[in-house]
Amino acid sequence: MRIPILKLHDYLLISIQTEIDDNTAIQFQEDLLGKIHQTGSTGVVIDLTSVEIIDSFIAKVLGDVVTMSDLMGAKVVLTGIQPAVAVTLIDLGVHLKDVPTALNLEQGLIKLHQELGD
Amino acid sequence: MDSKFGKILLDNSDVIIQKWIDEIEMLNGFNYSDSVSDELLESTNREFVNIIFSSIKDEGDTKRLKEFSEKLINLGWKVSYITDGLQVFRRVSIDFILQQSDQIDTSYISDLLQSVDEWIEPLIRQLVNEFSGNWENILSLQRVALQELSAPLIPVMDNITVMPLVGTIDTERAKLIMENLLEGVMNHNSEVVLIDITGVPVVDTMVAHHIIQAAEAVRLVGSTCILVGIRPEIAQTIVNLGIDLSKFPTKSSLRKGFIKALELTDRKIISTEEKDTSIEQMIESLGRE
Amino acid sequence: MAPKFCVDIKQEWDIVKARQLGRDRAREIGFGTVDQARLATAISELARNIYLYADSGKICFEITDETDRKGICVISLDTGPGIQNISRVMEDGYSTSGGLGAGLPGVKRLVDQFDIQSEEEKGTEIRVIKWLR
Repeated sequence: MRIPILKLHDYLLISIQTEIDDNTAIQFQEDLLGKIHQTGSTGVVIDLTSVEIIDSFIAKVLGDVVTMSDLMGAKVVLTGIQPAVAVTLIDLGVHLKDVPTALNLEQGLIKLHQELGD
Repeated sequence: MDSKFGKILLDNSDVIIQKWIDEIEMLNGFNYSDSVSDELLESTNREFVNIIFSSIKDEGDTKRLKEFSEKLINLGWKVSYITDGLQVFRRVSIDFILQQSDQIDTSYISDLLQSVDEWIEPLIRQLVNEFSGNWENILSLQRVALQELSAPLIPVMDNITVMPLVGTIDTERAKLIMENLLEGVMNHNSEVVLIDITGVPVVDTMVAHHIIQAAEAVRLVGSTCILVGIRPEIAQTIVNLGIDLSKFPTKSSLRKGFIKALELTDRKIISTEEKDTSIEQMIESLGRE
Repeated sequence: MAPKFCVDIKQEWDIVKARQLGRDRAREIGFGTVDQARLATAISELARNIYLYADSGKICFEITDETDRKGICVISLDTGPGIQNISRVMEDGYSTSGGLGAGLPGVKRLVDQFDIQSEEEKGTEIRVIKWLR
């Protein structure tokens, strides 16, 4: 199973709609980095509105993908993290420090726009 | 039970009751004279001493005892009324019996002490149990009440929400606060949340930890948290305890925090123009005169 | 005590299966969304440990019904190498797998009760309980 990655001007948009297992997550990491390389995108929004569970492994993959994309010159914003997911991440001791977040896709795009300067 | 002492007491119950009432009235005179009428005090004292005697006569009627303690609880009397009363009774009855006895030796005294204890102990136990049971009941009711007023979330304007925290924060409440906070952020689509801790009396490491966790969770869902209402003594404790709050913005007052929140959402407060010009006109006209 | 049922953990997808089952149970009993997520995440961590460190194992669920409270008990059983130093794996940040090291101490924070028993070369049993609030 692969997570679709959409291109919109200089940005890449990803909405994760399914339960993620470890393989899907790792596959996604590779796909996204490949896509950034291929398109030269400067911003990425990963929308997690439909994700009900993020455990420490998925969190690590997500955190890594943000750092890796950063290295490749693409800014990543995570959007739509559900309250229940946020609470469990904090309980787990996973703080995803330095990972930019926004309430929803729209505000994620605004944030990217502000940070990248038009 | 050594019944010879019981018999002495019962035979002379009138004398003992009088002695007890005299002593207890002196004691209670200090404690209750303001709030309780003399008649009530007297009738309660009589009831109390009658209960003590009936329990010595082995008519230990638990129902009557229960009613008595409920009455005291409803009147709001202290548990010390009961413990004092029974102590006085112990003293009065021992004094009296010793006066009545001709030959006194150690075994006689120890017998006496033991049998007096046997009358008093069950009474103390039951009455104190009734009282503490009542306290526990009140405690659990208050806990529920506290939970209900726990953590309101107030959307003051578009994208800005305020959560005033009042009272002590423990782990249970912290969880509730965090959940309310996050649900509220989602429901109101708040970009900025102001947590006001003006009403939190003490911020120790534990409380700070809970607040930091809540702020981090707020960041994860994509909003920003500003901690406001930091009083001087709280700033001192936070630094002295070595708590790091540098990661999210703090302001001394809700007003300053609100201005910051407006800034973060690209807005600011502008005074309406009419007022400005009218004041300018007034000053101008004053100048002309 | 209600009958328990188990999910065998053999492949990666079983982790997802176990946590989904756990979440469904939690929802049926009446857990709120946040506690559902807490329990499901805890199960996910436990199941991943089985998958990573033990050859085979299972995750079992029990409904714990006491007079004054109700909850879900999740039991993680494996026949793996066991844990040599339990106090060490309960430290935050300790990891042998290159993960975040949030595993077991994280699980402990997600649930209300946490018991671990392990015997070297025999296996590990972890019991956690989440009470209905």
